[in-house]
Amino acid sequence: MAAAAIVILMIGVLSLKLTQLQMFDSATLAGLARSNTIHRVVLEADRGIIYDRHGVPLVQNTPLWNLQVVPADLPKDWRDRATELATLATLTGQPEDHLETSLAVADQFAPVRLGPNLTDGQVLAINERLPALAGASLTHRGVRTYVEPLTFGHVIGYVGPLDDADLKRLRPRGYQPDELVGKVGVEAGLESVLRGTDGWADVEVDARGQIVRTITMQPPVSGQAVYLTIDASLQRATAQALVAGLQRDHKTAGASVVLDPQSGEVLAMVSLPGYDTNLFTHGISQADYNRLVMDPDRPLLNRAIAGQYAPGSTFKMVTATAGLQEGKITPQTMLSCPSYLSYGGWVYHNWASYNLGSMNVAKALAVSCDTFFYQVAAMVGDVTLARYARAFGFGQTKNIELPGVEPGLVPDRIWKQLQCGVPDLNSDACRWTLGDTITFGIGQSALLTTPLNQAVYVAALANGGSVMQPTLVHMVRDASGRVTATQQREVVNHVPASPDNLQAVREGMREEINRPYNMNYWFRAAGVPADGGGKTGTAQWGGSGLDLPTHAWFVFFAPYTQPDVAMSIFVERGELSEVEAAPIGVDIMRFFNGNRGAIHATTPPAPA
Amino acid sequence: MRPSLWQKLDHLQPLLTGMLLVLGLMTVYSAHADWLRQIVWVILGAGAYAAMTAFDYRRLPALAPWLYAGMLVLLLAVRLLGHSALGAQRWLSVGGFPLQPSELSKLVLVLVLAAYLSRVERLGWRAFLGALGLGAPVAALILTQPDLGTTIVVVAVLVGMLFLAGARIAQLGSLAVIAVVVLPLLPHLLHGYQRRRLEIFLNPGSDPLGAGYNLLQARIAVGAGGLFGQGWLHGLQGALGFVPERATDFVFAVYAEQFGLLGSVLLLALFGALLTRLLHAAAVAPDRFGALVAGGVFVMIFAQVVENVGMNIGLLPIAGIPLPLISYGGSATVTTLTALGLVQSMMVRRPLLQHRERTTWSGNISVRAQA
Repeated sequence: MAAAAIVILMIGVLSLKLTQLQMFDSATLAGLARSNTIHRVVLEADRGIIYDRHGVPLVQNTPLWNLQVVPADLPKDWRDRATELATLATLTGQPEDHLETSLAVADQFAPVRLGPNLTDGQVLAINERLPALAGASLTHRGVRTYVEPLTFGHVIGYVGPLDDADLKRLRPRGYQPDELVGKVGVEAGLESVLRGTDGWADVEVDARGQIVRTITMQPPVSGQAVYLTIDASLQRATAQALVAGLQRDHKTAGASVVLDPQSGEVLAMVSLPGYDTNLFTHGISQADYNRLVMDPDRPLLNRAIAGQYAPGSTFKMVTATAGLQEGKITPQTMLSCPSYLSYGGWVYHNWASYNLGSMNVAKALAVSCDTFFYQVAAMVGDVTLARYARAFGFGQTKNIELPGVEPGLVPDRIWKQLQCGVPDLNSDACRWTLGDTITFGIGQSALLTTPLNQAVYVAALANGGSVMQPTLVHMVRDASGRVTATQQREVVNHVPASPDNLQAVREGMREEINRPYNMNYWFRAAGVPADGGGKTGTAQWGGSGLDLPTHAWFVFFAPYTQPDVAMSIFVERGELSEVEAAPIGVDIMRFFNGNRGAIHATTPPAPA
Repeated sequence: MRPSLWQKLDHLQPLLTGMLLVLGLMTVYSAHADWLRQIVWVILGAGAYAAMTAFDYRRLPALAPWLYAGMLVLLLAVRLLGHSALGAQRWLSVGGFPLQPSELSKLVLVLVLAAYLSRVERLGWRAFLGALGLGAPVAALILTQPDLGTTIVVVAVLVGMLFLAGARIAQLGSLAVIAVVVLPLLPHLLHGYQRRRLEIFLNPGSDPLGAGYNLLQARIAVGAGGLFGQGWLHGLQGALGFVPERATDFVFAVYAEQFGLLGSVLLLALFGALLTRLLHAAAVAPDRFGALVAGGVFVMIFAQVVENVGMNIGLLPIAGIPLPLISYGGSATVTTLTALGLVQSMMVRRPLLQHRERTTWSGNISVRAQA
């Protein structure tokens, strides 16, 4: 009977354990079984393509191949496993211990990407041996390849891996840690539109990690296509003109913004030096990154929207408008233009060391007489002047579709007090002085602006006083080709100035570019009709005194009646704006005149 | 009236064996093993069963020395000529078929020990040591193949048959003492992978993707079966290859995933019934040799079922061992069926007398009186 009892005992004990496993632990173990066999595969959505206003693609999604390994699916036998790891290391060109570590620390049941980017040769070699490599698969994802990054880079920007701050901010919106996100430029500004919605598939895999069948699937939805207001050919012409101008005068940095003054559409936006945005999408090397960050010319700075500089004489149209509109002068009022004027015991010079005689406001703009505008500024007063400056958009952050837009600065009395640690109404360092007012009147003082602000400002002068909302986006289309957003013309502000007064200011700008032996030379030399209005400015910076470094500006609109283009040209450390900045504008204008119809046309691109 | 052969035949035993074989073939098929080949093995095994039933088991004691010598030669041949699979040298190629002599040796040891022990009336120390002397070389040769699982079965057969042959408490106690002395040395005698298996058994979560994988995956498959199972051919873990050695060592996990708790208990009940039939055979055996053969076959099958199912569900450490009649494998299938055939051979040759049907053994088989 003892033997029979042992048989019964055996059945009993084994049955008890079986009951525990198959009844009480069943749900847990069945869950483990599902995660064994059912893998969720992310189907990556394509990011939206960015086009110019005519449908020319400015970025492409090129497939980048990765070797992907699910650690749990590697061979169970340690010898086979070591052999496979060695093979994978050779195929991807990575050190074996590095590979082993990255697999050891990863989630054992989730795919791990090895080898950030494989060459075509590597892909072929791996593909050939793939059937023998348990748990390994080849995956590709679309990686941004930017077209002519040195020309379009600052506008388009780039995508890069999420940093900790991004992750914190974007995790609630479903971003995955290994996702790429727009970092700067349109890529960042329109991230929510460009980003597609990833799909997924639940696939059944066998123990070798091979997909047996797909159970359920949610297809990915591609990101939306963005059509910029940029005209690719004008952008190229602008960049070439700027590059040529800078080279001519041995300068290294500059920027230009070209607007449609009627709509506020940005037709071209260039900041130099540019940089290769493609470096970032493939994971930039530390050496490359250091080189870009340490470069004294600061290539990563988009000067067009974030470079803040004194406007210098290009500000004189604001002073003129204020003087006219406030009744301090009329278009006919004649004021003197001596070589210097004294205010509060300080002497303020004109650019000319001799007296230019008396002149009206148009002539004063044309010859850019500083002393004329000292007088107007003194008459208008700093408070009113600041109001007009703000009305033209100075010191305002433009709500354009790019991150990192800087406002510039319109100084006033409160601002100056705040500059002092301890406000002191009696110290000239804290107190607004008459000297501040008159230098404010010629675009100096602490006044700062950006090339974008300058373009909006000259566009407002051109279009009769409407400060436009600048925009880079013409239209957005979803993956099915349906237009989901179009840009509406938006006027941010109307400059409180009568048409006649603005006309008088424009007249001065026309005179400036038509003065013989002066800037008109460039127009004639380039065969571009000087039909429009322009203003140069050579702005001092870096403190106060007589021999300060300067930046060169040129703002311009054309044609004179019904203008359809407004632009700002900025040359960092430019010494003579008439010689260094203006010819760049003329170059751009020459291209614009030859392609005017094509640039303004927005041929609606066929649905993708 | 002289009872017919048909009447003497143990009908239940082949019936139970057949049911287990059917379940085995179903499972082997579902595990994507070479089931056609397994059918060939089953047919060969059935032939062996019939042949053994026809063969007069009483001629075996005379053959025992030759069988024993042949077994040692085969085991030595494996060491010298065999080819290895899965890190162990267990296989001999016989006419193109891989032969695993250690499987056969289990049965041969049963027969040899039965022949030896049936000759002694009382199991004195001399006979006791003699039996150990017969078993030890076999166990040593198999352990060093290395094949821990079969060694465990061989040792179980040795101890079990000594017990059935009437070993005294002192004798069995001395074995226990030897075990206590040898077991701490075991880790040093074991091969690396065997030692790791033992460690994994003690702490299965320590290396879920390495050596503990087998145990974990087997438990997952068993648990995924639940009460009623996933259904035949619907077991994902087994079919997709997550369960290792799914047609041999871990065939029970594959079975349990498909047939659930109910199926598992049914399987155990079938084995229980078959084992009970073997005990019954031992009890009604006409001679001491026959009783010891039936008892030995009982221990052999019992040990394999316990160890195999136990390791599949995480009760016992992993030792490569097939589940009799269920696992894929020619040597094991043929050996088991041959053994069962021998028991049947004894059954059909017993004098069918009503009063002898009574089971009179308690603990040890009390067949001495009949011998």
